[in-house]
Amino acid sequence: MQESTFNELADLALRNSGQHFAPTKSYLMDARLSSISRRESFATLDDLVQCLKARPNPRFEQEVASALTSKKTRFFAERETIEQIVAHALPQRLKLSKSGKLRIWCAGVSTGQEAWSLAMRIREQVGSPLASAQLEIIGSDLSVDCIETAKRGVYGHFDVQKGLSIHRLMTNLNRHDNGEWEIKDELRDTVFFRRQNLLNPASDLGGFDVILCSNVISGLAKPAKRQVLETLCKQMLPDAYLFFGSDEAIEGLSSSIKPSRDMRGAFVRAGTDSATAAA
Amino acid sequence: MKHCLIVDDSRVVRTVAGRIIQDLSFTVSEAAHGAEALEICRKDMPDAILLDWNMPVMNGLDFLRALRREDHGKDPVVVFCTNENDSEHISEAIRAGANEYIMKPFDAEIVESKFAEVGLV
Repeated sequence: MQESTFNELADLALRNSGQHFAPTKSYLMDARLSSISRRESFATLDDLVQCLKARPNPRFEQEVASALTSKKTRFFAERETIEQIVAHALPQRLKLSKSGKLRIWCAGVSTGQEAWSLAMRIREQVGSPLASAQLEIIGSDLSVDCIETAKRGVYGHFDVQKGLSIHRLMTNLNRHDNGEWEIKDELRDTVFFRRQNLLNPASDLGGFDVILCSNVISGLAKPAKRQVLETLCKQMLPDAYLFFGSDEAIEGLSSSIKPSRDMRGAFVRAGTDSATAAA
Repeated sequence: MKHCLIVDDSRVVRTVAGRIIQDLSFTVSEAAHGAEALEICRKDMPDAILLDWNMPVMNGLDFLRALRREDHGKDPVVVFCTNENDSEHISEAIRAGANEYIMKPFDAEIVESKFAEVGLV
């Protein structure tokens, strides 16, 4: 890949998703764009970028930008965080809820496994107050293709064997004759997916009790990190909890959130944390 | 170090699975069918067993049922690893006492994930 091609693609990623590519990560561009490149019969990424420049096409540019984002995910990838959300954050929020409704946002959900994992884990809470709560889980991602995959809820042989126990697989998915597995209808009642660029306001999504945003922040340029944190923070209901990936460093990026004193791994809006005050 | 017995009539599968499981810090032994595996278990009960379904002499399901009747036969964690990938076979394996189930083909990440599910790693 020519240096100018790398620079064009890095600029495109930064503009569209806030993603930062160091020059040493050009191999990631090759890997992530190989499918589009093949489909459009470009011999090299240099040709792809030449085409983008010669015939500007916002839709294709958006598709390339989406393809450049990390799609890495698996069922129960953030297992400890999911446990924390289900065992502590949601019950805490339910206590404060007058309506019995709980809204969860999985921001940057890629192909949906994280949202489905949360739904599965919540559904296992038979006999707990959570079982009777009205739950809504929204999964969002920049990539239209990812969201379509998430909505379909059909996963391959390798996907369903990473992170899912055989008991969870059999309980929550049906096997097709072609070897693929599909999320059962029982889970679909509470899980919804839509496209959302986290660099843009998400006010039409409404407020959330819990937001989980894993494997997004760490790949972004610093201004984009701040922008995404603002987007997320604005959708937090009072005393809501915000969780990130277990290995993501957030401290110091935003004055709008602070680590929760009573919820391990969670952040709350700065100036709140009344649950702690009440405790 | 934990001990994993790999039971499969394919030498290739035993070799590939053996390398993956050794990388997870297990010592590995091998058997080509259920009867051979049962003899090994009677002498030295392993911590984990990776078990194929279709094998000559004694198949995986018969081995598992026999194993669970042995002294300390309920101790090993048994992970089926087979081409029998339909829901009926999976349910039958679980009813017979399997702890986890790997559908072939598999890779190192699947083995590690499944071993993690049952607390082996």
